[in-house]
Amino acid sequence: MAKITVRNLTKRYGSATALNNVSLEIESGEFLVLLGPSGCGKTTLLRCLAGLETPDEGEIIIGDHVVFSSKNNTMVPPGKRNLGMVFQSYALWPHMSVRDNVKFGLDVLKTPKGVADERLDQVLDDVGLAHLDGRYPSELSGGQQQRVALARLLATQPPVFLMDEPLSNLDARLRMDMRVELKRFQSDTGATTVYVTHDQTEAMTMSTRVVVMKDGEIQQISPPDQLYRQPENTFVADFIGMPRINLVELDTVDGRGTCFSNGDIQIETGWAPGVQKVIIGARPEDITLSADLNTPGEDYQISAVLPNGPETIIQLMRGQTVMIVRVGHDTEFATNQTVKLSFKRQSLNIYDAQTGVLVTPPDIEVAKAG
Amino acid sequence: MSDISVPAHGLRSRLHRSATDPVNILMLLLLAVLAYLVLWPFIQLTIETLTWSQGDRRLSRDAVPGEFTWFHWLQATTGPLSTKVLYGPLINTMITGIVSTILALLAGGVLAWCVVRSDMPGKRWLQPILTLPYILPSFAIALAWETVFRSPKVGGQPGLFEALLGTAPPEWLSYGAVPISITLAIHYFPFAYLLVAGALATIDSQMEEGALISGAGRLMILRRITFPVVAPAFAAAFILTFGKTIGQFALPFLLGAPTQYHTVATMVYANLALGLDSMAFVLAIVLIAMSLVAIWFSNRFVGKKSRRFETISGKGFRSRTIALGAWRWPVFTAVALFSFTVGILPLILLGVQSVMLIDGFYGLENLTSHFWFGTSNPEIAFGEPGVLHNDIILGATWNTLKLAFISAVIASVVGLVIAYISVRRADNPLARALDQISFIPFLFPTIAFGAMYLTLFAEPVGPIPALYGTFTLLVLISVVSRLPYSVKTGVTAVTQIGKELEEAAELAGAGWGMRFRRIIMPLASSGVLSGMMVSFVGVMRELSLIILLITPSTRVLMTVGFGYAEEGLSQLSNALVLIVAVLTIIGELILMWIGKGKMARLRDKQS
Ligand SMILES: Nc1ncnc2c1ncn2[C@@H]1O[C@H](COP(=O)(O)OP(=O)(O)O)[C@@H](O)[C@H]1O
Ligand SMILES: [Mg+2]
Repeated sequence: MAKITVRNLTKRYGSATALNNVSLEIESGEFLVLLGPSGCGKTTLLRCLAGLETPDEGEIIIGDHVVFSSKNNTMVPPGKRNLGMVFQSYALWPHMSVRDNVKFGLDVLKTPKGVADERLDQVLDDVGLAHLDGRYPSELSGGQQQRVALARLLATQPPVFLMDEPLSNLDARLRMDMRVELKRFQSDTGATTVYVTHDQTEAMTMSTRVVVMKDGEIQQISPPDQLYRQPENTFVADFIGMPRINLVELDTVDGRGTCFSNGDIQIETGWAPGVQKVIIGARPEDITLSADLNTPGEDYQISAVLPNGPETIIQLMRGQTVMIVRVGHDTEFATNQTVKLSFKRQSLNIYDAQTGVLVTPPDIEVAKAG
Repeated sequence: MSDISVPAHGLRSRLHRSATDPVNILMLLLLAVLAYLVLWPFIQLTIETLTWSQGDRRLSRDAVPGEFTWFHWLQATTGPLSTKVLYGPLINTMITGIVSTILALLAGGVLAWCVVRSDMPGKRWLQPILTLPYILPSFAIALAWETVFRSPKVGGQPGLFEALLGTAPPEWLSYGAVPISITLAIHYFPFAYLLVAGALATIDSQMEEGALISGAGRLMILRRITFPVVAPAFAAAFILTFGKTIGQFALPFLLGAPTQYHTVATMVYANLALGLDSMAFVLAIVLIAMSLVAIWFSNRFVGKKSRRFETISGKGFRSRTIALGAWRWPVFTAVALFSFTVGILPLILLGVQSVMLIDGFYGLENLTSHFWFGTSNPEIAFGEPGVLHNDIILGATWNTLKLAFISAVIASVVGLVIAYISVRRADNPLARALDQISFIPFLFPTIAFGAMYLTLFAEPVGPIPALYGTFTLLVLISVVSRLPYSVKTGVTAVTQIGKELEEAAELAGAGWGMRFRRIIMPLASSGVLSGMMVSFVGVMRELSLIILLITPSTRVLMTVGFGYAEEGLSQLSNALVLIVAVLTIIGELILMWIGKGKMARLRDKQS
């Protein structure tokens, strides 16, 4: 329906740069999530797409239309971009009933009354608000207000949905339910969706691809599983995953450059990353513990055992080096116990300590090339 | 047996506890005092209008002092003078009230939009100037108007208008409905401005952006989103401003009385001056009724709707200013010109006029500092010495500062205590009653409130001595009239102090008095202090409230200034008003400075 292309977009507020040379292609029908810590420019990017902010440089193409171009001085106003938006605050109009809120967009399009009414009934029914259509926004619960915002978006059937942290004002349970519903509406309509959040669970569960941002720059664009398994730099590695990934800085200890150590621990990578200093990234579930001290690996001492429902998080120390490991809930490890620890070598990610960028082993590069 | 005795014991101890709870005792005490100072005066005033008084023997042969009668009400509503005394002034009050309120709201609304929602330059400088006319004593603007448009046809010297243009201004421009409405509007537009600006600042600009994305044009957004959202605030501002204008006395008196143009408020004063107390009281009640009807309207039609329209705010609130583009500087120029004309020009006019030896004759040879520094000279101004040499004025200055200070301190402390009780004991109906009683003075037009106190303390009642003519009475009425504001400030302050802070002190064994002194007062102090300063300035420039209660020994600057104006000694009254203006501006500057200090401290805390 509508593909979105963003080229070299830069947006400054005074001397501060909110977006720095951002480029991005969003496929038609895709559910793209913009993820990143607060202040990284997610909202700014979304508002640039909507036309609510005017970028300083770059180009935005939605469908077949160039809606913004700094070169040609093109700036299509928001109302002509044919998109719908859900704001973080919902921005419902407090003086209009639920029905009037939803109807506004149809009024602007001068939809004939009969058609409009039919469409309204349909949308209100879809979001489950048919029985509340006479109420005013302040008479609704947070979840219901959220649905009104959603209905407002759905009413005019735009080919592009923009959503700015639409679930952040809801409590945890409701958020879970709404995730499912949002996803359903998106796939039913097939609208190209750009969804902003700082909640990585939301990003991982809903998206087809995730864009991780930091300080106005894109760090990585990947499908969620790849984002988790193969973060392209240490920022993304550290940002994604709960509990956090283990990142340990190590030095080469041998001539071949495959064995690294920091004095406390030593790791054999099995291939040569080609740099002097590396940071290894090991997800807590990619580490194996064994009470049997005859298994291969290094000795660690358990410093804390933190049961957490279906899993248990174990904190271990070797010298000054700390590791976090995720094991099943039925573990029998105890604090102060000494255990053997080994890494699942194929799951380790290795980063150049100087640049923080992922170094990929040769066989994967071969696989990629093939 | 023991089963029963335990709860009985529990109940008794609970009763005992609540009877010895200092907060409860204080609450009952305050309720009794406020009932006497707020409710009883109104009842007393009503009774006065329904009773023959000694003076009525002049008016009617049937008068039996002390007996019940409808005489005063009948005289006001159907008597031969009813048109002159009641209906005419009533219509005039409605006209000047409504016209000035509309003007004030238009100016206030447009300015609020420019300051809050547009990217007009120079906001920081314009904002204080825009609030000046409200900070100044209300009749400063009336005096300034007179300076320009005074007409010798009515008496006195020609004004600036005639001096410059050589022809007298038309009378409708000098006195009556037009100048009263305009000057009232100038005095009250900052009030409307502040109310509307407050409402505009809470608008989430994303509400407009949502409509923008739907494809709505600027006009449609203004018409369908922005206006409806601020409409309730506008309506509330209308009622509040209207309620204030109808209680104004000095301003319509100076610009209306010379041509016998009376409002209900000036009629109250005029009747009292003639010794027709009961008639004045009837008019005071009419004035109160007008105010109540207005408030009732606002609650009935605006209150409910606006509650329904409450903007919902959550995370993600944004308030963006709208770019004026090419209009930026023209808008700035217009606003700056306007603020200069209404905020600074009147002061300059008063200043210039106060150094003119012969009023209305503008020339360098006519300059004099007599009205400021001169000693008594029988040839000028009936021998009145200049304001800085005048014992009456020095005494009045001292009285003014004393009254403003004492009233502000008492009002703030009492306001804080009442606020504390109403916040912390919100589930106690008596606490709610206390909160409501403290708000009632807000509903009384100030001159009517003054009239009430005239009757209340005329004679000793039980242990309470007659207070008429005393300074204490002025303090009492000033404190009570400030309570609605100081309680509101207090509620804001107390609400922000978590209950746990106090509970922690309670666990440490601190009694209520100690908690209030050591926890509540210090934490509420910055808010209460700025509230105190607002009250200080407010009392200092108050005239309508106390004009009826002043005697020669309790004169304050405003009443002396008004007296001079009434006698036509305009240079002296202008000089006096300027003194009050300077004092209030200093007060406001201190207030801004306190406010900044608070901001700075908050910032420190956050970083
Ligand atoms: N209207 C504005 N004026 C000035 N700075 C802004 C404005 N809007 C956003 N910024 C700045 O731009 C950066 C990105 O903001 P935003 O896009 O809102 O972040 P996010 O949505 O990722 O939390 C922040 O540093 C923010 O302070
Ligand atoms: Mg944001």
